[in-house]
Amino acid sequence: MENVENIIISYDIDGTVIAGDPPGIITMDMIKRSKELGYIIGSASDRTITDQTQIWERNNIEMDFIVLKHTLPELVNKLKPRQGFHIGDTNMDEYYAKQSGLTFIDIINGDFKAFWEAILSKSF
Amino acid sequence: MDSRYQGGLERITMITDIDNSWKRDSDGLGVWEHRGKVAIAGFGHSPVDRRWDEVNLETTLGAYSLLACKQAVEDAGMSLDEIDGIVCCPTTISGDSGGSASNWAPRPYFDPPYDTEWGLTRVNAQWLIDNLGLKNVKFAPSAAPTISEMVGLASQAVGDGLCNNCLMIYPTGNMAGRYRRGGPNASDFAEGGNQWTAPWGNHGGNDFINIFPHQQYCRKYGGEHDDVAPFVINQHRNGLLTPWGFNYQNNIPQLTHDDYVSSRYILRPLRLWDCDRPVNAAGAYLFTTAERARDAKQTPVYVLNHSQHNFTFKTTQPTLDEIELWTDIAAKRMYEGSGLTAGEVDIFNPYDGYSIMAQFFLEGFQWHGVKRGDAFSFYADDIRVEGPHPLCSSGGNLGNGRTRTAMYTDSIEQLRGTAGARQVTTRAETALAAFTTPSSGGWIMLGKNPD
Amino acid sequence: MPKLIPVPNELTKPYWDAVNSRKLLIQYCSDCQKLQYPINPSCYHCSQATSLGWKEVEGKGEIIAAIVIEDGRLNRRMPDQPYNLAVISLDEDPTINFYSNLPGTEPYKAPIGAKVSVTFEEVSPDQLIPEWTVDIKEV
Repeated sequence: MENVENIIISYDIDGTVIAGDPPGIITMDMIKRSKELGYIIGSASDRTITDQTQIWERNNIEMDFIVLKHTLPELVNKLKPRQGFHIGDTNMDEYYAKQSGLTFIDIINGDFKAFWEAILSKSF
Repeated sequence: MDSRYQGGLERITMITDIDNSWKRDSDGLGVWEHRGKVAIAGFGHSPVDRRWDEVNLETTLGAYSLLACKQAVEDAGMSLDEIDGIVCCPTTISGDSGGSASNWAPRPYFDPPYDTEWGLTRVNAQWLIDNLGLKNVKFAPSAAPTISEMVGLASQAVGDGLCNNCLMIYPTGNMAGRYRRGGPNASDFAEGGNQWTAPWGNHGGNDFINIFPHQQYCRKYGGEHDDVAPFVINQHRNGLLTPWGFNYQNNIPQLTHDDYVSSRYILRPLRLWDCDRPVNAAGAYLFTTAERARDAKQTPVYVLNHSQHNFTFKTTQPTLDEIELWTDIAAKRMYEGSGLTAGEVDIFNPYDGYSIMAQFFLEGFQWHGVKRGDAFSFYADDIRVEGPHPLCSSGGNLGNGRTRTAMYTDSIEQLRGTAGARQVTTRAETALAAFTTPSSGGWIMLGKNPD
Repeated sequence: MPKLIPVPNELTKPYWDAVNSRKLLIQYCSDCQKLQYPINPSCYHCSQATSLGWKEVEGKGEIIAAIVIEDGRLNRRMPDQPYNLAVISLDEDPTINFYSNLPGTEPYKAPIGAKVSVTFEEVSPDQLIPEWTVDIKEV
C-alpha cells in the first residue's frame, strides 16, 4: 500500500457532503475513514469558519484544516502536500482546486466512485 | 373579465384583467385618495426552505402559499368566505435564466391539484381560488406584478371598492441546481437586450446594475466597499431575531465582521455575503377596508400611500447620478402621496437583496437625516433594533432568505408592537417598506393611525 | 475563450454590420441632437422614431468604473474568470457608456479614469464586437 503521508483531501460541503445544502453523497463515515487511513483532511467551503466548525463538531470529526474555499491556494502553499485533492460540485471548486495545484474531483460529473476506491486502497 | 359560478347558485363576475391605471407612478399626484382608508389586517408566512425537494407535496410552493393564506386569514380573524380579492404573482422569481429552474418543466407530475406546474413551482390566483375553496372572489388579476407593486395593487383595489378583503400572496420558489445558470445564461448567444451586456460578461441583474454606481459612490464620497459590512452584519443579526426566517430556522451562525471581509468575491468588490440566499417560501397579507380592520383580530395597520416607479435606462449601465436621481424621485413621490416628511418615518425597511442597494435608498429617503454620502458613517453608528437608528429592523433578505417579504412583515409587526426581540425602542407609528430596485418597483407607507 | 455572440435583429443589424466593418455607428436623433446607445426603437429623449438615424462616432472614451467578475453566471465566460468588466463613457457624449473587458489589461488592474479607444474583437467567424483598450500613454 502506498504511503499517504502528506496527502490532502479537501472537502467542499454544500452539494458534496451529506451535511451540506443541498446534501451531497459523501457521508460522515467516509470522511472519518479517510482520516483513519492517514490522509490530511479538511473542509474548504463558502460557509463561514464558525459554521464549518460546528458541522464537524456535531459529527465528531476532527478536521486537520477548515478554510474558506478561495483560500485553498494559501493553505496548500503553507502545507506543501505531496499530492492533494479537492472534492466539490461547482466550477468555483474546480477553479480553486486548480489554483491550489490540487486535483479537482467533480462529485457530480466525474467518476467519484473510482476516485474513492483509489482513496480507500491508496492506489492512486 | 371572468364570470363563473363559485359555489351556490349566484353568478359572480370576477375581474381578471387590469390595466395600469391603479399605479401611482408619476409625480404630482398629491396625497393618496384612500390614505388611511385601507388597512392590513393579517399576515402569514410559510416555513422557509432552501429549496423544494421535488418530492414532498407538503412543501411545494402551492402548499406553502395555501398555508400562508390561511395564516393571514386566521391572523385577521376572518373566514375564507369573506375573501373577495386575490392578488398573486404568477411568475417565477428566478426568471428565464433560473438555472435548473429553466428546466423545471416538463416533469413527471403528480395527482391533481399538482398535475401541472401550478401549485408545484408556480402559483396563481386561480389555483389559490380553487384550492382554498374561495367562493366569493370578484377581483383576481391574472397578471399580478411582484410584491413590490402588488402591495400597491391590493391597496388600490380595496380603496377603489373592487374588493373588500384582498389576499395578496407572494410565492418565491427555488429548486436544485445553481441559481440562474440556465436559459440565456447557458447560451453561447446574446439575444434581445442581452446583446448589449452579455458578450462582456454581464449576466443581467441588480448585482451589475448597482455595483458600478456603488463603486462610483466610494470614489465620490470616500469609503471602501467593506464599509458596507456593519449593515450586512446587522441584517444577519435582525434575521436571527425573526422566528419565521431562514437564518433563525436553520441556526445559521451570526455573521461577523471577519466573516464578511474574508468572504470571497463574486463581482469584485461585491462579496458573497452581499448577496441574498434563494429560498422556497410564501408570504401572504390580507388587505381590507379600515372599517373592517377595526373589527379584526389584530391592531390594524393602515396604508397611508403606495407608489411605483419604472425608470428607463438611458444607456447600457446606470451611473451613480441616475441611481441617485431615481431614488430621489421615488422618495419625493412617496412623501408627497403619504403627506409625511422624512422625519416622520419611524420604521425604514428598504430592500437589501444586494446589500449595496440599501445605501441609495437610505440616502434618497433621508431617513434619520442621512444625506448623500452619509450612508457608510451611518452604518458604522448604532443601527441595531434596540438602538437609536434601527435601520432595516426586518433583517431583509440578507437576514431571512430571499422571500422579499420580511420588509413588509416586520413593518406590520413593529406598528402592532408585536415584533418581539426585534421591537424597536424608538417611536414606531409609521413604516416605509419595499422590495424594489432603484430603477423599478414600488414602496408602501404604513401607519399605526389612519390620520 | 470567445465571448457570447450577439444576435442582431432587424433594428440592431445596422449597428452590428458597422461593427463588422470595424466602425462604431450609433443612433442619433436629429430633432434632439442626441446620440443614443444601446440601439432602441425610439429616441430616449423625445420618444419618437421619426428623426432617429445613425452617426459614426470616433470610439474614444474613458473608464468610469470597473469590477472583476470572479463568479459570474454565464457558462461561456466561466473559463475566463477572473476578468475585468469596465464601464466606458464615450468622449463624444459621456452620458453614453459601453461595457468592456479591457483586452490587454490584467484583471484587477483596470485604471479607472484612463482613456481608452475602441477596437474590434472576433466572437465568431462572422461577428465582431467592440472592445476598448487603454491608450498606451495611460499605462
